[in-house]
Amino acid sequence: MSDIREEIAPKEVDVRPILRSGGEPFQLIMEAVNGLAPGQSLKLLATFRPQPLFRVMASRGFDHEAREIGGGDWEVLFTPQAGAAGRVEVSAAAENPEAWPDPSEHLDLTDLDPPEPMVRILSAADALAPGQVLFALLTREPIFLFPELEKRGHQWVGNFDSTGTAYRILVRAGRPREI
Amino acid sequence: MHGASLSRWTMSYFAAACLFLILGQGMMAAGYGYPTVSTAAPETLALVHVVAIGWLSLLMAGALLQFVPVLISRQLVGGRFAPVVLALLVGGLLLLVSGFVALSGTANLPLGLLPLGGVVLLSGFALLAGVLAATLLAARPLGLPARFVALGVTALVATALLGTAFSLGLSGAVESPLLDTLVGEGIGLHAAFGLGGWLSLTAIGVSYRLFPMFLLAPETEKATSRAVWWSGAFALGLVAACLPLLLLAVAGADILLSLAALLTLALVLLYGHDAIGFYRARKRKQAELNIRASLAALAILAAATLLFLLPPVRAAAGENAAALVYLFVFGWLTGLGLSQLYKIVAFMTWLESYGPVLGRAPVPRVQDLVAERRAFVLFCLYYAAVGAATLSLFGGSAGLFRACVCVQLAATVALVNEFVRARRLSYVPAALRAPAGAVHPRLFLPTFAPRR
Repeated sequence: MSDIREEIAPKEVDVRPILRSGGEPFQLIMEAVNGLAPGQSLKLLATFRPQPLFRVMASRGFDHEAREIGGGDWEVLFTPQAGAAGRVEVSAAAENPEAWPDPSEHLDLTDLDPPEPMVRILSAADALAPGQVLFALLTREPIFLFPELEKRGHQWVGNFDSTGTAYRILVRAGRPREI
Repeated sequence: MHGASLSRWTMSYFAAACLFLILGQGMMAAGYGYPTVSTAAPETLALVHVVAIGWLSLLMAGALLQFVPVLISRQLVGGRFAPVVLALLVGGLLLLVSGFVALSGTANLPLGLLPLGGVVLLSGFALLAGVLAATLLAARPLGLPARFVALGVTALVATALLGTAFSLGLSGAVESPLLDTLVGEGIGLHAAFGLGGWLSLTAIGVSYRLFPMFLLAPETEKATSRAVWWSGAFALGLVAACLPLLLLAVAGADILLSLAALLTLALVLLYGHDAIGFYRARKRKQAELNIRASLAALAILAAATLLFLLPPVRAAAGENAAALVYLFVFGWLTGLGLSQLYKIVAFMTWLESYGPVLGRAPVPRVQDLVAERRAFVLFCLYYAAVGAATLSLFGGSAGLFRACVCVQLAATVALVNEFVRARRLSYVPAALRAPAGAVHPRLFLPTFAPRR
C-alpha cells in the first residue's frame, strides 16, 4: 500500500435527530467508522459531549477534538492516528482491545504455507475459553480468516509491523457456537 | 466488514466462461470464421466475441468479483448485482452473436439483434464497472494491483462504448458519416482497448498480488512495477488520442500507435522482470502447476509482443496479423486464464466446503482437491496445440489449423473436466472428504442455505 495520504474530506455524521427522539446512535456511528476510507476523518454532531465514545474510538486508532458549537450541541472530529506501523484493523464487534487479557497462547505461523495459518488460528481460537486471547504472527494478512472468525463469534485486532513483512493478530474467543 | 469472503456467483461466471471457450474452439474446429472467411467477416466477428466476451470477459469479471476484495481487504460494494451482470452479459452476447449471424446472411434473423445486443452488453459492462469502481473508490488510497484494475475497468468502458457504436453503425440502426468512419477505422482501437487494456492490464495487475501469494514471495511495490502501470496508462492514453485523429482524418495516428506498441514492449519486459523476481524470491520450493503454467503464458506474451513489432513477421501473420492475435488470445490470455482457474477453483471449493469446519475436524489440503500430474500433461498438450495452430495460420493451411484446434479443444475439455472434479471433491481421499459440518458445494450455483 502506498503511504501517500490523500486529503479526503471528513465524513459527517449528525446523530442529533436520533438522540433527540430518544434513539441509540452507536450502531450508526460504528457503521460510519467502518465505511471510512483509510486516512479519512469522521465529524460527529451530537447533543452532548460523547465521552464514552472517545475510548471506543481511541481503541480503533482515532484521536479526537471536541468543541461546543452552541445550543448545547457538540462537534467532534475523530482523526486517524498516524503511526509507523500499518493501520490497525479491528473486527466489527471488538470493543476496547487494550482491555483484553494478555494472550494465553502464542503462535508463530510464519513458516507455514497458506491456508495452513488460517486452519491453525481457527483451531486454536475454538479451543480457547470465552474471553481468552491468542496472539499469532503471520507473513501476510489473512484476508479469508477475518470473516470466518466473525462468523464463529470471535473478535480480532491485527496489523502489519512497521517493516510491513509480519502481520500480527490478536483473537479473543467469543461464546462457543454450535457447528 | 474487513477481509474477503467467497463471492457467491463467481463459480457461475466461470462455468459460463468455460462453456463459451469450448463453443468458440468448437466453431473454429468446424471451420467457422477466419481463416475460411476474412477477419472482418460477420462469422469471424461472431467467433471473436464468443471468445473475447463469452470466455475471457466473463472469466475476468468472475475473478474480479472474488479478487478485488482480496486486493483491497474490503468487501465488494454492490455485490448483489453480480447475477444481474452475468445475465446481462450472457444475454447481450447471445443477441450480439445472433446479430452477426443475421449480418452474415446464413440465417434469416432480424438485423436489429446486433444493436440490441450491443446495448444490453454495454449495460452489463457498465454495471460491472460501477460495482468495481464503487468498491475501489471506497478503498483509496489504492495499492498497485488495485490501480491496475482501475485502469483495466476504464479500458473496459471504452471498449464497450466503441463496440456499441459499431453495432449501431454496422446494423444501419443509426446512420451518420462519423459512425461510418468509426466502423471503418476504429476496429483496431476497439481490440487494443479490449485485449490490451481491459483483459491484459487487469490480468497483470491481479497477478502482482496472486504470484507472490502463491509463491510465498515478499510482496513489495517496486519501481519497475510502477513503471509497468505508467507504461500501460500512457499506451492507453495514446490509443485514446488516436480516436479523434481517425475520426477527423488527421494524420498522425500511425505514429501514436507505434509509440503505444513500443510502450507495450517495455511494459511486457518490465512485467517479465518482476514476475521472474517473484519466482526467484519464492519461499515455496516447488512452484505449483498454476504458476508454472502461467509462466508459459507470460513467455508467450513476450514472444507475441516482440513478433508483432517486427514488420516482416507481422506481414507474414496474415490479415490483420491474425496469427499473432491468435497466439496472444489463446497462448497468453487463455493460457493464463486456464492456469489460474486451475488453482482458484480448487481454493474456492476448499474454502466453501471446509471453511465451516476448519480447526474442528481434519480436512484435506487444497492440493488434495487436484491431480497436478494429470493436469500437467493437459497443459503441455494445450500449449503445444496453440503453438501448432499459430504456425499453421502463418503457413496459411486452414485444414491443419482446424486439426490443431481440435487438439486444443480436446485439451480444454479435459482441463474443464479437471475443474469439475475439483468442484466435486473427486480427488479427495474418501476418509477426509465429508467431515461432519462440511458443505458439499454445488457445481456452479451458489448454495443458498444459511450457515448457522
